[in-house]
Amino acid sequence: MSLARKITLHALVAAVLAFLVLPILAVIPASLNSASFIRLPPSALSLRWYGAFFQDGEWTSSLLTSAKVAAIATGLSLFLGTAAALGLRRIEGAWRRILSGFFLAPLIVPAIVTAIALYYVSRPLGLVGTTIGLALGHALLCLPFVVVNVGVSLAGLDPILLRAAEGLGASPFRIFRTVTVPSILPGLVGGAIFAAITSFDEVVISIFLAGIEAKTLPVKMWETIRVEFTPVAAVAATLLIGLTLVFFLTLHATLLRSRRPKAA
Amino acid sequence: MPEPTGRPAVATTRALRLQHVVVPGLLLLPAVGFLVLWFVIPLGQLFLLSLSDPRGAFVTYREILAGSVYRRVLVNTILVAANVTLISVALGYPTAYVLTRLKGFWLALAFWCVLVPFWISVLVRTFSWMLLLEAHGPINAALLALHLADRPLQLLFNDVGVYIGMVHVMLPYAVLPIYAGLLRIDHRLLLASDGLGASPWMTFRRVYLPLSLPGIGAAAALVFLLSLGFFITPALLGSMSNLTLSMLIENLVNERLVWPLAAAASFVLLAGTLLLLLIGARLLPVRQMTLAG
Repeated sequence: MSLARKITLHALVAAVLAFLVLPILAVIPASLNSASFIRLPPSALSLRWYGAFFQDGEWTSSLLTSAKVAAIATGLSLFLGTAAALGLRRIEGAWRRILSGFFLAPLIVPAIVTAIALYYVSRPLGLVGTTIGLALGHALLCLPFVVVNVGVSLAGLDPILLRAAEGLGASPFRIFRTVTVPSILPGLVGGAIFAAITSFDEVVISIFLAGIEAKTLPVKMWETIRVEFTPVAAVAATLLIGLTLVFFLTLHATLLRSRRPKAA
Repeated sequence: MPEPTGRPAVATTRALRLQHVVVPGLLLLPAVGFLVLWFVIPLGQLFLLSLSDPRGAFVTYREILAGSVYRRVLVNTILVAANVTLISVALGYPTAYVLTRLKGFWLALAFWCVLVPFWISVLVRTFSWMLLLEAHGPINAALLALHLADRPLQLLFNDVGVYIGMVHVMLPYAVLPIYAGLLRIDHRLLLASDGLGASPWMTFRRVYLPLSLPGIGAAAALVFLLSLGFFITPALLGSMSNLTLSMLIENLVNERLVWPLAAAASFVLLAGTLLLLLIGARLLPVRQMTLAG
């Protein structure tokens, strides 16, 4: 490849990579705006809109709802998904493939279809506008991440350890607690973090199930930016990015810690 | 005292059954039960609803597939998904190629750029684009300052906005399968082609490109499948005159309150998605997507 072509190619790819990352950051300066409307780049920086966010009951309660929904959805999918991953390890052949595919199905069916199906059955059950209704919907999308993450960890668990524990007379529950759990801990933490991020960011199912009483942060953001571009929405967006960053760093730290003893 | 001969065998069979059927069954039951109750049954109910039009069972489907307004929505949906796929693959291919050539810090940095968007909420990313593309936003300001435009361009609430926003979301889904495909190419074949006197362009066109087609196919199938049912970005960046199927479904439920029609539109979308999945299953790395692999 000639030098000119090589430079053109690398410039193109640098532009593509910049296109992927840089636009995401636009909401951060927008949230630090001191003017009463969004201006990019901001004329002067201030934390004024962060104050406005935390003083507005609708925004703070949406943050609280998001946290509650994410906690329930994560807990539920962690329980269901871990058990399912342990079960999948014990079966083989066609059943294993069919069930693995079944657990991934909620990620393949378009979210809008799942959303109106859940909306349709939730209304007569009184689940629209409730934290539980939202959490049950989110758990569908969180479950595959737990099954996959725990599954990957289980695949790395040496069966000889389990047989050794059994041979030494440990009860199945004791084996699970002292051998299985510690060795699949990275998978559990990874699954939980993916589940929490999925729930925190979920929009489509939430806008149908939130009603007026259980708006999550993304739902409140969605409703706001469909009407006007306010700096408060940019604050909400920046908080979501910050939260993702915290989750990401937690995951990173966990993975590092789980690797260290083996390296030593 | 002699043991009754049959019993150990029975006990072993029972233990085996317990180990291979009952225990896995009990472990899998909660998750399977949850999915059946809260995913399969709701979809089934929605399907029954799509057939419940008083005018007859399949009237809703005929209306969605043959009515002139809805036909336009279907065509627009497929057109948008196809164009987004084309653009994503066209940008993703050179990106994936350069990724295979990078090492160390630059590889990590480039990979980081491809993966970061996965972690950030689609709603946040779409909102960022709204701020960047609006009439008084920085992109229009730059175009005016560079005299590339003499008045602010309409970049939002039309196809331009939808394409920019959707390509931004779909591009990583295109880069990764293409990259995986390129890594599998045996570089000795390129050396052989070179040694036989082919020009670099000839080697690319006759050897490298054909060998990278499976990865391109997998990327195209994945991006097309995801674009078809995509809702948030077209709903925020597009307009009511360019409805996609997912926007139509929301509109039928929330504005026009015609549930059977919305249900039928949902199953048309679902059928299209599943059809693509069947076609793409050969190309998509299904083994990596399921736990069986």
